[in-house]
Amino acid sequence: DRQTLVAVLQFLRRSNLRESEEILRREARLHGDDLGGGGVAAVASSSPGVAAVSAVPPGKVCICQLFQSFLCALAYDNAFAVGGGIVVEDQPDVSAVLSAYNQQGDPTLYEEYYSGLKHFIECSLDCHRAELSQLFYPLFVHMYLELVYNQHESEAKSFFERFHGDQECYYQDDLRVLSSLTKKEHMKGNETMLDFRTSKFVLRISRDSYQLLKRHLQEKQNNQIWNIVQEHLYIDIFDGMPRSKQQIDAMVGSLAGEAKREANKAKVFFGLLKEPEFDVPLDDEDEEGENEEGKPKKKKPKKDSVGSKSKKQDPNAPPQNRIPLPELKDSDKLDKVMNMKEAARRVRLGPECLPSICFYTFLNAYQGLTAVDITDDSSMIVGGFADSTVRVWSVTPKKLRSVKTAADLSLIDKESDDVLERIMDEKTASELKILYGHSGPVYGTSFSPDRNYLLSCSEDGTVRLWSLQTFTCLVGYKGHNYPVWDTQFSPYGYYFVSGGHDRVARLWATDHYQPLRIFAGHLADVTCTRFHPNSNYIATGSADRTIRLWDVLNGNCVRIFTGHKGPIHSLAFSPNGRFLATGATDGRVLLWDIGHGLMVGELKGHTDTVYALRFSRDGEILASGSMDNTVRLWDAVKAFEDLETDDFTTATGHINLPENSQELLLGTYMTKSTPVVHLHFTRRNLLLAAGAYTSQ
Amino acid sequence: MEPTKMASPKSAPKDAQVMAQILKDMGITEYEPRVINQMLEFAYRYVTTILEDAKIYSSHAKKSSVDADDVRLAIQCRTDQSFTSPPPRDFLLDIARQKNQAPLPLIKPYSGPRLPPDRYCLTAPNYRLKSLQKKVSSSAGRITVPRLSVGAVSSRPSTPTLGTSSAQTVSVSAKVGTPVSLTGQRFTVQIPSSQATVKAATPTTPTVQNVLINPSLIGPKNILITTNMVSSQNAASESNPMKRKHEDDDDYDNL
Repeated sequence: DRQTLVAVLQFLRRSNLRESEEILRREARLHGDDLGGGGVAAVASSSPGVAAVSAVPPGKVCICQLFQSFLCALAYDNAFAVGGGIVVEDQPDVSAVLSAYNQQGDPTLYEEYYSGLKHFIECSLDCHRAELSQLFYPLFVHMYLELVYNQHESEAKSFFERFHGDQECYYQDDLRVLSSLTKKEHMKGNETMLDFRTSKFVLRISRDSYQLLKRHLQEKQNNQIWNIVQEHLYIDIFDGMPRSKQQIDAMVGSLAGEAKREANKAKVFFGLLKEPEFDVPLDDEDEEGENEEGKPKKKKPKKDSVGSKSKKQDPNAPPQNRIPLPELKDSDKLDKVMNMKEAARRVRLGPECLPSICFYTFLNAYQGLTAVDITDDSSMIVGGFADSTVRVWSVTPKKLRSVKTAADLSLIDKESDDVLERIMDEKTASELKILYGHSGPVYGTSFSPDRNYLLSCSEDGTVRLWSLQTFTCLVGYKGHNYPVWDTQFSPYGYYFVSGGHDRVARLWATDHYQPLRIFAGHLADVTCTRFHPNSNYIATGSADRTIRLWDVLNGNCVRIFTGHKGPIHSLAFSPNGRFLATGATDGRVLLWDIGHGLMVGELKGHTDTVYALRFSRDGEILASGSMDNTVRLWDAVKAFEDLETDDFTTATGHINLPENSQELLLGTYMTKSTPVVHLHFTRRNLLLAAGAYTSQ
Repeated sequence: MEPTKMASPKSAPKDAQVMAQILKDMGITEYEPRVINQMLEFAYRYVTTILEDAKIYSSHAKKSSVDADDVRLAIQCRTDQSFTSPPPRDFLLDIARQKNQAPLPLIKPYSGPRLPPDRYCLTAPNYRLKSLQKKVSSSAGRITVPRLSVGAVSSRPSTPTLGTSSAQTVSVSAKVGTPVSLTGQRFTVQIPSSQATVKAATPTTPTVQNVLINPSLIGPKNILITTNMVSSQNAASESNPMKRKHEDDDDYDNL
């Protein structure tokens, strides 16, 4: 009761209604109530199973406010120590409190309401039943949370006991977490549950089914459920046939329901940026002088990537200067020339011509291998370990050297041709370099495209930039105060993205100590972050089982993809930029069309989390590596041809996924108890894989 | 740790059984046996901390016994210190909106390695020379070798030169300005004159400086640098095959 008053007072103060606030305060006789707005929510989290100890306490602890509240509590005895003392709450808690009091139905009748609805849905027509069954899970969770929030613990428990078995199997993990939340105090520490309570669960239902439901609920005895539906659910109505259970099952599973239609309507520039044309020096490689179109040898062949016969702008490609990108340095140009030469020798893959797989096994990795990355030209491999070290190996016979010290550098002849060799200090040559600096397990590593820098992100909340020329740490980017789960450099260098436990992904540039963009919107940790090949978009996969595509230019979320039934651990963009492949703990690999925002394929086969996904260099093969110790190759060309992507599908979500996982599977390659952590196609389409040998 | 050596559930104490049951309820099936011990220890430590705090609060309020409100208050105060949770969603959306409004900064061309300003980088030397007066009297005539990284010793005629750090410099260079004259094996240090220059130099040059060595003064032979100065606390010592002949541990004791 008092809490409501306090919340209302805060609300009035926030809306600058001073007089009403004074009147209310006087009437309710609340004295000395100096609740400063926007402070820290004093939370009480006493659940042993979910102890979230953070390494760095946030700097916003208002000691004086807590002490003040403490004194008030003493002075007025138990007048204020109600339900957790004086809580300096911020906005969502206020609204949550208010909303909780909106539908204070009789707690004992919740079970009646729910079983009544269940009965109605089970007796409805077959075609509607599948769609209306989508209501069960969100309603169940919201009703349970309400009972807990209003502190009707025993009713909540019996409600849970009775109905949790009816829910779909893929929600079982959530339900287990839910079963441990029995008191209101437990909820306060759990950000994901709070977000779930305050955000609207999206359901997509056809108009017929919706009207059936509405008619039933508006009869007076079911008003309570109708209130809950209106409050917590967002029903996206479409005109058309109701969806079948199979179609629905493919798309649901995330914590926020499905995606609204508007969420996937923004235009996305998924094309690739034009590669700059420059002259390839035709030195000694005369036999490769012919460019791919078979034209006679020219003195200056054009750079040809994916058949850039058209000079005009690809309508789906972003303008070149949409986001600022670093200019090409000479070393970059040399690299591109090398790339082209290698590309000419590339093996064309296909169902008849599968790539060879070279597996790098980390033996004796008792340190706990947690992250792996390989450079684009496959010359170096880095491993991030649970003992907070980052180890860099050279994969080629050329050893790793660090640059000479300043004194020696002044001695060398700067004009000589091999100055780049001379600046290297031979005495430091070794195959392995160990980088110390982090204070927690390293969860993500990424090489820069020019191989000068290495990024690593760790549980200590920082992202570190290491120089690969001196093998020392250059910068520590602090911003996430919670474990950072993944990081990646942009394909053009300079920018990098990181995602962590604080549910946001951040875009950084190497020369800014603060992030440039913050991508907030996920309901749970961001577990995987990847750049689009044109560097204008970022895909983030999260523990709330959705994948979001963000625009780098303005930070907006342009796509939401739902359908996975577990946290997402791997993402891969196809080389042409049009498709996205995602892998999660449910063992499925899902394929998405970015332009239309639809799921276009499902690859079943793995039995455990898919930790690594990679398309081959020209996009013909998709390789997936998983915790079940296998690497599987899938035919990407076939998966993406003949797609039914028209407006009807987009609007209604009537996807028809062909059950062709078996046909698309080109091969399964088993390792000997080594989970596959990373996959990489070399420039010539040899597949490299990496993992740490686990003895059981 | 082999999981086969777990204590059988029947002989485990009740607390351990409860903890194992909690883990099972939360869906955790595979864990090392140490986990139960660690969880029990954590639970014990947490509960005693809270109860101690609650006792303090209740005695401050002059109550005769600890009651639930004291415990609640204790929990609240502790949670803000240790169990912080990430910021709430609307706060994140708010700061995201603010950050995302600013346009992306343009990239300056031809600017070398793109790193934040020096104070945000980890490229500065992480040591500082101790002040010089202390050592003069006590260690006259003692041979000490400052632990320097290459590039630190200035030759006699030149004063420390300032160079900007480029991407290719080794991160650490000392600021020792002890001029030495290398004439064969033994030599003396011109302390008084150098000291002044060094002291003047030290406060004004906080950034990395590259001190050039006159290469003619350094040969492959033994180089003993006699100083009465302190040796620098070079934590980031690179391999200095030329310099490190004597490692005088006394220096570290006195520092």
